[in-house]
Amino acid sequence: MTVMSTPTGWGFTTAHASCSACGWSYLLPSDALPGDGSRALRCPHCFAVELSFVPEPQGGLAEKLAYTSPPELVLPFSLSPERLSQAIATFAKGIPFAPPDLNPQALAGRMKRVYLPQWLVDASLRATWRAEVGFNYEVVSHQDRYSDSAGGWRSQEVKETRIRWEPRLGQLQRVFPNLTAPALETHARLRGLVGDFDTSTAQPYQSQMANASFVRLPDRSPQDAWPDVLPGLQAAAAQQCQQACAADHQRDFRWQPEITGRNWTLLLRPLYTTYYLDDQNQPQAVIINGQTAQTSGSRRSSMKRAQRTALIILSIAVVLFAISAILALAGIAVPPLLLLGGVGVLMAVLVALGAVIPLALVWQYNRSQPGASQSLKQFAGSD
Amino acid sequence: MPDPFPPPGFAPIPSAIEGIQVYAPAPAESASQPEVVEFKCPQCGGVTAYSAQDGGLTCTYCAYYEPPEKAPVGKGAQEFEFTVETMDRAAHGWGEARKELECQSCGSIASLPLDSLTHTCAFCGSNQVIQRQASQDILRPWFLIPFKVDPAACHKLTREWMGSSWMTPASLKNLARVAEFNGVYLPYWTFDSLTSAAWKAEVGHTRTERYREGGEWKERTVVDWRWESGQVSLNHDDLIVPGTQRLSQVLLDRLKGFDLQALTPYDPKYLAGLQARAYDLPLEKAWEIAREKMRESTRQACISQASTGQVRNFSMNLDFSAESWRYVLLPIYVAAYRYQDKAFQVMVNGQTGVVAGQRPVDWTRVWLSVAALLAPGLLLSLLGLLTLIFGGVGAIIGGFGFFLLVVGVVIAVIILRQAMSMDDL
Repeated sequence: MTVMSTPTGWGFTTAHASCSACGWSYLLPSDALPGDGSRALRCPHCFAVELSFVPEPQGGLAEKLAYTSPPELVLPFSLSPERLSQAIATFAKGIPFAPPDLNPQALAGRMKRVYLPQWLVDASLRATWRAEVGFNYEVVSHQDRYSDSAGGWRSQEVKETRIRWEPRLGQLQRVFPNLTAPALETHARLRGLVGDFDTSTAQPYQSQMANASFVRLPDRSPQDAWPDVLPGLQAAAAQQCQQACAADHQRDFRWQPEITGRNWTLLLRPLYTTYYLDDQNQPQAVIINGQTAQTSGSRRSSMKRAQRTALIILSIAVVLFAISAILALAGIAVPPLLLLGGVGVLMAVLVALGAVIPLALVWQYNRSQPGASQSLKQFAGSD
Repeated sequence: MPDPFPPPGFAPIPSAIEGIQVYAPAPAESASQPEVVEFKCPQCGGVTAYSAQDGGLTCTYCAYYEPPEKAPVGKGAQEFEFTVETMDRAAHGWGEARKELECQSCGSIASLPLDSLTHTCAFCGSNQVIQRQASQDILRPWFLIPFKVDPAACHKLTREWMGSSWMTPASLKNLARVAEFNGVYLPYWTFDSLTSAAWKAEVGHTRTERYREGGEWKERTVVDWRWESGQVSLNHDDLIVPGTQRLSQVLLDRLKGFDLQALTPYDPKYLAGLQARAYDLPLEKAWEIAREKMRESTRQACISQASTGQVRNFSMNLDFSAESWRYVLLPIYVAAYRYQDKAFQVMVNGQTGVVAGQRPVDWTRVWLSVAALLAPGLLLSLLGLLTLIFGGVGAIIGGFGFFLLVVGVVIAVIILRQAMSMDDL
């Protein structure tokens, strides 16, 4: 990882970092970095590479630092310590022969705060539109029942809600603020892993919000992201046109927009990241939604622990077999011991077979989980 | 070249959001029609009136003719749902200024042109009428069937109808003084609905079984009752209910047979020079009558699904859906005629020419006919009894006489019922 400091308007001195392993770029407070290079700082995304502070060179960073303006809005980390601990404990619980490093204490100790970026755009537009809008109305219907035994008809009045569709058209000239668009190529995959964020709780950016956090830099330009804005823009326009008509429903919305202005800013979304080391001493990333605590990561069993357990069981079987063999030999002199020795040998064989169970259990469990490399790639967004 | 905005037929409406303009289809022009429409000839200034013969407005002075502007829409005429909103929308009143007049003699109400100062009641011939204000809850009729039968043809049709029954006096056809036929648009409701029913019942299956009693075999009929069930969906299309209860429902029933394919959008021109009646049977009441007919026909359809005609413990659940209604005006000529100082009412279907009405019954002729029918049987029966005493052939004659008597009684009863129904009208 290469780390370079740069002065910005974030409210603190920032540093720009780019991980050589996963390719993610960050901004982070420069004072969060080890100034002397003696302390290791892992990439909070892949945890595969340790960071060390590298002084900013003179010039040459303008292109790489294209999207380093302070954000407009931030979704703050809103999980209580108890809820975060619960999420970690739930993740670490129930794994047979879990790696020694996969425990709540280790996961909590390595926890990092990362802000994921999302584009916000304020779009000014003029448009002509047309749609069919629906109005709810009630009609009176009837349900009748006839019975010989009841002596004739009984009628019941029922009310049904129906929709009356009417054509509407018009013009609009409005600014649609804070339309969102993905700022990361991995946006959809991350959303699949940790779910959605509630953007209604967004707050204006303040320097202390990102003071102890990594801020992931966008890897998509506004030009790339603009096509992703259009569906949301159309949906917002359709919704507002429906409200303008005071209608209950809308369908077949069509429009001809003319965009007259666009203003791009960023929204930061909170993500906790941590990791544990697997059998091969490789970091396995765990990520937690900073709003909802939805957790994702590869839960791996330790084959080494399973092997150790199997070895212990096998040792017990060998000892049992040896004792049984001695008893069987003694049975030449004392016949009843021969029977005891036979039973012992049989038990030793059964115990030896039981040594397979931990190995099979771990093999089966790990097979049912995404592979370590696959999980990391999924998170990193690399193929 | 870009399309003009807004396109024709759209008008701006209030928007709930600033910066968004909303346009909706412009209201129909009929909403802004004047309340009073005068029918004057543009050529001579004379009065024009609707002519059934020509199918348009005509001037009786200069033969000016104005064809109808609105084409028939038939059964595609707009129908309304049972909503308060639709009821309110329909309540626009008449498109032509009219007076509502109540006959003091028979109580019938007629909606007449504003310039009618005198009026002869079409139902009782009385000219004693008083004027009262038109009720405000009247619904505006949206469609009507224009008159097709000429008033002059009604006299011919009525004379033929008077002479079509042997029970009426022979002189009726010639001596009856038939008043002038007045064309009246009568109010009718039409109803549509889909009825879906699920039924179950015990259905009887008859079989014959043999059993032994007293040492010999006998036969008896046994009914096995089995539960059956089924489902029925019926589409009721344009069930017609008269919108007035002041006229004889029997006569109105006999005038049925209107072809609704001739339904035409309401236009005051069709009413020029004619009478029109507002409904006195409200929509809710008329819908109750229609629903009763619909559910009864659905019940009969359910029963007919049973594998036999023997049904007991029948029950069914019935759902109405897609209910809709129309308020239409249908053309009827009404007239009163006098015969032997008694007034009788006659109506003619203004579209089909079907005649229905009251006819005097010549009871002398009816009783003579009954006597003639019964006499042969009675005489032969008596003759049979007498000859039975004196000889052996009396049984055959008496039996034949009894047969004739039974046949005569049956026919006499039918004749009497017909005559009584004519007299009751």
